[in-house]
Amino acid sequence: MNAARTASGSGPRWRVRAWFMRSESGRGYALLSPTLVVVVLGLLFPMLILTTMSFWKQEYVDLVRTFTTENYAAFFDKRIYSLILYRSIRISALVTLVTIVLAYPLAYYIAFHVKKNKMMWIVLVTIPFWTSYLLRVFAWKVILGYNGVVNSGLISLGIISEPLEFLLYNPTAVVITLAHAWAAVAILPIYVSLEKIDRSLIEAARDLGESAFMTFVRVTLPLSLPGVIAASLLVFIPTVGDYVTPALVGGTRGIMMGNIIQSMFGKALNWPLGAALSIISMLTVTLAVCVLLGATRWYRKKVG
Amino acid sequence: MNYKKDDLIDMLATGKVSRRTFQSYLASLGVAAVTFPMLPRSARAAAEDHPNIFTWEGWDAPQHHFEYHNKYGAYPNFSIFGDEEEAFAKIRAGAQFDVTHPCSYKVEIWRDAGILQPIDTSRLSHWDEIIPSLKEIPGMTGDNGDVWFVAADWGLTSVLYRPDLVDPKYQEEETWGILWDERYRGRLSMADSLIDGVMVAAIYGGAKDPFNMTPDEVEVTRELLRKQLPLLRYYWTSPTDLENSMAAGELVATSSWNDAFTALKAEGVNVKYMTPKEGAMTWVCGFCLMAAADPAKIDKSYDAIDAFLSPDSGVFSILEEGYGHANTHSYELVSAHLLEERGLSANPEEILSAGIFQEPIGNEPVLQEMFEEVKAGL
Repeated sequence: MNAARTASGSGPRWRVRAWFMRSESGRGYALLSPTLVVVVLGLLFPMLILTTMSFWKQEYVDLVRTFTTENYAAFFDKRIYSLILYRSIRISALVTLVTIVLAYPLAYYIAFHVKKNKMMWIVLVTIPFWTSYLLRVFAWKVILGYNGVVNSGLISLGIISEPLEFLLYNPTAVVITLAHAWAAVAILPIYVSLEKIDRSLIEAARDLGESAFMTFVRVTLPLSLPGVIAASLLVFIPTVGDYVTPALVGGTRGIMMGNIIQSMFGKALNWPLGAALSIISMLTVTLAVCVLLGATRWYRKKVG
Repeated sequence: MNYKKDDLIDMLATGKVSRRTFQSYLASLGVAAVTFPMLPRSARAAAEDHPNIFTWEGWDAPQHHFEYHNKYGAYPNFSIFGDEEEAFAKIRAGAQFDVTHPCSYKVEIWRDAGILQPIDTSRLSHWDEIIPSLKEIPGMTGDNGDVWFVAADWGLTSVLYRPDLVDPKYQEEETWGILWDERYRGRLSMADSLIDGVMVAAIYGGAKDPFNMTPDEVEVTRELLRKQLPLLRYYWTSPTDLENSMAAGELVATSSWNDAFTALKAEGVNVKYMTPKEGAMTWVCGFCLMAAADPAKIDKSYDAIDAFLSPDSGVFSILEEGYGHANTHSYELVSAHLLEERGLSANPEEILSAGIFQEPIGNEPVLQEMFEEVKAGL
């Protein structure tokens, strides 16, 4: 027993282990290991499978496992896919804009004007997130619906006699629903970046004669940009691929890329094309994000 | 090494726990996190004695499975799908079931995908009571006599409308054309599916064989769908949405199954169900035995199918759900008046032969793509 231990203790395996524990990157990986396992199993492998599948072909019920770029060609040949992708990005960009515009004042108020019970305000902001996402979408169906809160309210006030039909089942309903569903995700990072701003900078700007508005434009806004960027990304990236909301409140005109991809993996039974469309969407979103980041860098340089 | 867990961080900070020990804790935490989801599976032993049935919402009602319960003192396990495509995708992704409940036009593709096994009809005590024409659906019996599908329930796809809100002429001349009537812009709906949606346009467009259209007929259908798109409130996917909208008057006419008609009538809503001059569609759904069925539960799987085929289960279908049932005896147990109220009769063959029977759709990928393009506004 003892002899074996000494033997392994000085053997090559032990030395590798010792080196691994001593080196900084080795320790880093060891600390990361649980997360790393999850990331590799849950993200990298599926991505590899998706990429591989996008170069295959569907024939009736079988996957033909020979290399082909047909699926990518289909994206450029048929107008529908690029059109829907463009529409999804437009809707998501609009959602992001609406969310940020609505979230910023609230975050600003909490950061600068709430003195007591800040924590309570933050918790209040997150309350809609305590219910499931689907429930929030359904809540909007109830609010905007034909016999919904808005319509019955307006009818009982005598403002309209027939329920308004344009409230639900169109792209606007998708934007409203998504903007509300993702509000908390936008408020929190903006709040954090506003909270971090050194108040003496704002005072200095005011002392040096800047108006309140110009102080905001030249000091507060640029300094809070990291939060705004983070919020934009957190809202924009997931909403491009959303398919539940358009399916429930989008009607005939509000479908997005997620719905097409879902139908490829379901009704249309064309997994390889679905995989190719997913990858094209991901690349497009990455590109859009890069453009956004580039634009903000340019803006900060200009202002700073 | 008996540390209280609160002290661990302190001890690490003061150097009482070596980095290596701490890392081994982290590693075990990681292993635990990864393996944890595997634990609860073995904890459900009791339910595992019974077959897993993958079916439509509502068909898991106990009334359909009394015979099974009488024999085993428990019900089979149920999982629910929204449509067959979703079911198919799940099964192909590796979900294990013993019995599924698709409609007949999907059986061929399922069989070709190798997910089904033939059914030994001699093990079903109610087999001989099934409506004869439902045993002769093309494609359900292989060339070598293998049976792939046991019909269990059937119904119609037709127009459900509000006679109080539309032109009275539609009551005299019932037609699918109401779903293209410009006067009801924004108050019409269609099923978001090939079989119950696109096929409606094909029938209305006069396709000779809607399920195997020529390229010209496909173009006619595309034009009709394009024309219809701006008139629709939405393409429906959930019968519940449909029923709510019809009851509210948000919709005045829609394509629908007969269950919505029965449900709305029971609620006292003024609705009618058409027999369109172009023909209503009839469909049949039933049971398939999965290739991956657990051999140890095969007897119980047959008993579960058999229970659904019993006359009692049929009476429940007819009275409560508004659907037809495969068992001929179930019609003898319901009065002629109640049958008629539900659009049925003591001779179900009559209704089945009058409608356009839903068959597997030829060139499905082409039609699906066409439908997606229309929905995208192209």
